Amino acid sequence: MFRKISAVALLAITTGLPAQKSAPANVTADLPAGAMQTRATTACLECHEARIILQQRLSKAAWTKEVDKMTKWGAVVDPADRDALIDYLSTNFSPDKPAYEPPRTANKNASGKSGD
Amino acid sequence: MILRSFRFVDLESPVEYFNTWLTPVPHFFVRNHMHEPIELDASGWRLSLGGEVEKPLTLSLAELFKLETHSVVNTLECAGNGRSLQRPQVPGIQWGKGAVGTARFSGPRLHDILQRAGLKPSGKHVMFRGLDEVPGKVPPFIRSIPIEKALDADTLIATHMSGSPLTKHHGFPARALVPGWIGAASCKWLTEIKVLDAEFVGNFMSPGYRLPNQPVKPGDAVKPEDTHAVTALSVKSVISGPIDSSSLKMGKVTVHGAAWAGEADIVKVEISTDGGTTWNLAKLGRDQAHYAWRLWSYDWKPGRGGDYSIQSRATDSQGRVQPETPVWNPSGYLYNAVDQVNVHVS
Repeated sequence: MFRKISAVALLAITTGLPAQKSAPANVTADLPAGAMQTRATTACLECHEARIILQQRLSKAAWTKEVDKMTKWGAVVDPADRDALIDYLSTNFSPDKPAYEPPRTANKNASGKSGD
Repeated sequence: MILRSFRFVDLESPVEYFNTWLTPVPHFFVRNHMHEPIELDASGWRLSLGGEVEKPLTLSLAELFKLETHSVVNTLECAGNGRSLQRPQVPGIQWGKGAVGTARFSGPRLHDILQRAGLKPSGKHVMFRGLDEVPGKVPPFIRSIPIEKALDADTLIATHMSGSPLTKHHGFPARALVPGWIGAASCKWLTEIKVLDAEFVGNFMSPGYRLPNQPVKPGDAVKPEDTHAVTALSVKSVISGPIDSSSLKMGKVTVHGAAWAGEADIVKVEISTDGGTTWNLAKLGRDQAHYAWRLWSYDWKPGRGGDYSIQSRATDSQGRVQPETPVWNPSGYLYNAVDQVNVHVS
């Protein structure tokens, strides 16, 4: 049920902001399909959500550092899966992929005057 | 707000919000390294102060409120603001231009609390610990600042933001406010202050939040011993209107935005509408405070229809000028290249 609540609605509750009319984002975005999707979900999304991954555009060397750092910080990665996980991330979130477009959560009517 | 992450909560202000000197709190960016505290009970909250002091203290919120209050209007910017614009890209929250905002922070001076505890001469750095909920084996978010900055009359234990108690997103019931410095220095949900005889050793002091001592080529690795802690903000301006990729009608166009420089003052903001060949002075807004941004505006009359690049470039009282090209570093800190929006005039 939690998945059905939009992040927009939930942030509107927590911040008191009215929700924007743009397409609502689910609280939990999904990692892309692939052989390592389930294991990446288990390893990474226990601590943080998928958008933190979806917005990255990194080289394989940079993803290797990230995976090793996160494993040290508690991400459960079977040593046998490490290389495949790095391949999965560096294939889906490489520098040549189109820029990530983040959703918005609230209306854009900032209060107050403009200019000086 | 731009949702960079829901868990942990990381929210960015769209730059078009930067049209007021004080950023409305609901539109103020939110940066969390970890989960926000699950429970925050104002009556049970305590702030402890120990380490290199004569008389360790524990203060309740009521006791904190009894201390003399001071206010500082401060532009708070995440060290990683603009990270998404670095090439090659580097890991971290991919902030655009809006992980920055300005508010009036109020609360007792850290100086007064340290004096009350009796600072020992051996005290050289002051450590802050927050109540962040730490996931997995992630190192706790603990950082320190040098004693000189801690004793500065404008460094606060803030309980209020622009006249209201801090919201949970911004560190209720109390946070450090280290003016002019990167946001990470201003620890939220403060629960412990410890005076140390040396800089705190931990992930968020090193390797986190460090810059190369010397400029490096984009993509180069940097050895930890060749780095220093990021402290004060750079000189920077952003264009808050017209927004990028907008279509404008022929006639007067007011280009506007904000400029800030950490511990320095903004001296001028210049605007170019011809790709950087010529620059014209923008008018600085009347609202100002030492650590706060200046709003600015420039009236432009395009001579003909077509595509234009509008650029803004700030200069500060230390003689620093926004560079034409970004100064790259491995963590994407303190991005401050000349800002640019592209518009079409018809």
